[in-house]
Amino acid sequence: MKKLLIVVLFALAAHARVIETQEQALASVGKNLARQTFFLTKEQAAAAGLESQLVIRYAAPNGVYAYFDTHRVRTEPETVMIVVDASGAISRIDILSFSEPTDYFPKRRWLDQFLGRKLDNELSLKGAIRPMSGASLTGAAIVNASRKILAVHRLLPK
Amino acid sequence: MLKRIVLILLIATTASAQTSADLEKRLDEMKRQIEILTKEIETLKAGEQQHAAQPEQGVSFGGYGEFAYENPEHGTPSADLVRGVLYTDYKFSDRVLFKSELEVEHGTTEIGGSVSLEFAHLDYLLKPQANIRAGLVLLPMGIINEQHEPTTYLGATRPEVEDRILPTTWSELGAGVFGDTGSITYRGYVVTGLDSTRFSAEDSIHEGKQSGSEALAHDLAITGRVDWHPFEGTLVGASVYNGGSGQGRGYKGTVTLADVHADAKFRGVSLRGVFARGHIGDAAAISAQNGQTIGSSTGGWYVEGGYDLPTRIAVTPYFRHERLDTQRRVPLGLTRDPENDRRITSFGLAFKPISQTVIKTEYEMIHTRAGNNANQFNLALGYIF
Repeated sequence: MKKLLIVVLFALAAHARVIETQEQALASVGKNLARQTFFLTKEQAAAAGLESQLVIRYAAPNGVYAYFDTHRVRTEPETVMIVVDASGAISRIDILSFSEPTDYFPKRRWLDQFLGRKLDNELSLKGAIRPMSGASLTGAAIVNASRKILAVHRLLPK
Repeated sequence: MLKRIVLILLIATTASAQTSADLEKRLDEMKRQIEILTKEIETLKAGEQQHAAQPEQGVSFGGYGEFAYENPEHGTPSADLVRGVLYTDYKFSDRVLFKSELEVEHGTTEIGGSVSLEFAHLDYLLKPQANIRAGLVLLPMGIINEQHEPTTYLGATRPEVEDRILPTTWSELGAGVFGDTGSITYRGYVVTGLDSTRFSAEDSIHEGKQSGSEALAHDLAITGRVDWHPFEGTLVGASVYNGGSGQGRGYKGTVTLADVHADAKFRGVSLRGVFARGHIGDAAAISAQNGQTIGSSTGGWYVEGGYDLPTRIAVTPYFRHERLDTQRRVPLGLTRDPENDRRITSFGLAFKPISQTVIKTEYEMIHTRAGNNANQFNLALGYIF
């Protein structure tokens, strides 16, 4: 089963077109980041909408945490880095890899709508996040990822 | 006796110490292994498998399609696999891309259907503000011509204004530029012109599209659009088209189309509107050639709106109203057919069980200036992947 999971993950990863490596993204978050690993219970993972019980995050000394999420947009995977500040709000969101056609790639201006957002009903395409013209699936995928990460963030010790 | 007891205790303590040290060692090793495994999984999840330093090439697939059922009050109900489309793109490098859509309309070519490339072009990406496109390109008119997946518009059918006045789906061979400056996007192409021999009274220029099929290139056309995106999810813009349709038959047959359009989505509300006008030069000569009255002026507009209810599954009640006439004006001595002056109003519900599929049910009312009314129930199923 584990082998199958790793093969599937590798297949997803092998297709990705990398814009920024994880190392580069983390370097821009700050120095002296501590890599933290958590093993959620099945119930916690389900509550946060995660398929995996394994959560890895990077903690900065100033109370800022960086999370990564890889998900499918339409048929191809996308990896995002979401940085959560000490108040539990999104302070940064970057696309690290994106394999869908370039027409569906989110603009920085669209991503900036997430800044300062916490996990509430406003963090939704029916709420304060305006949809992307002609790329509704990209928009939905990133909203889902941000909600998932903020839900996990609530569960973890600070 | 005492010596024996001490000896036994010593042996037991040593064994216990060895077991404890061994356990600790094994635990440390397991921790180390788990750390390595979680790092590996993280790397795989993040999609960084050595691709950062490699030339980024690759093929992407996608697709969309729609099925429709129409039940007119007076007439025979019909069902149709309206279209099934396979999208393919190939990234030769960071700067050169190929994009295409292969479309099958109406299920099979054995009973009136067709197979065609809806578009197929190469993009040369220079910088976001200025890029080059060449091949079979979608004309940048209206909204639906470039963005026609069934999940992106309200209505079980595409608006008739973007079918008869702006002849969606319209592609021609050509080349041009496109770009994005942040709040302004634009496209401009030189393409093969229309072929007037297929113009008709009812559908105006619709069948005059050449679609890259051994296209006549005696008359070329220029077309372009500019859109302003004041904020995400909203655009306001205009498009133009101008080019001959005579294709060497002794008259120019200049076709000029222009439209203004707007589209906005926010907090579950969707609003869209298009206003289009067309002018066909040498309409008298084309009418004589085709044996029917070709309108020298065409025009139409529509507005549509919907509200995505705050439910878990997306449920959007919507409406659309459109007005169009393919014979606003006709050449001197010819007569307008009031059947071509139409008002269409639709009310419906769109369900999206997941964001990639949509089911639309609607009631459509068609009125013509000739006084004929035709109401019908439409059901559509659409998907995109």
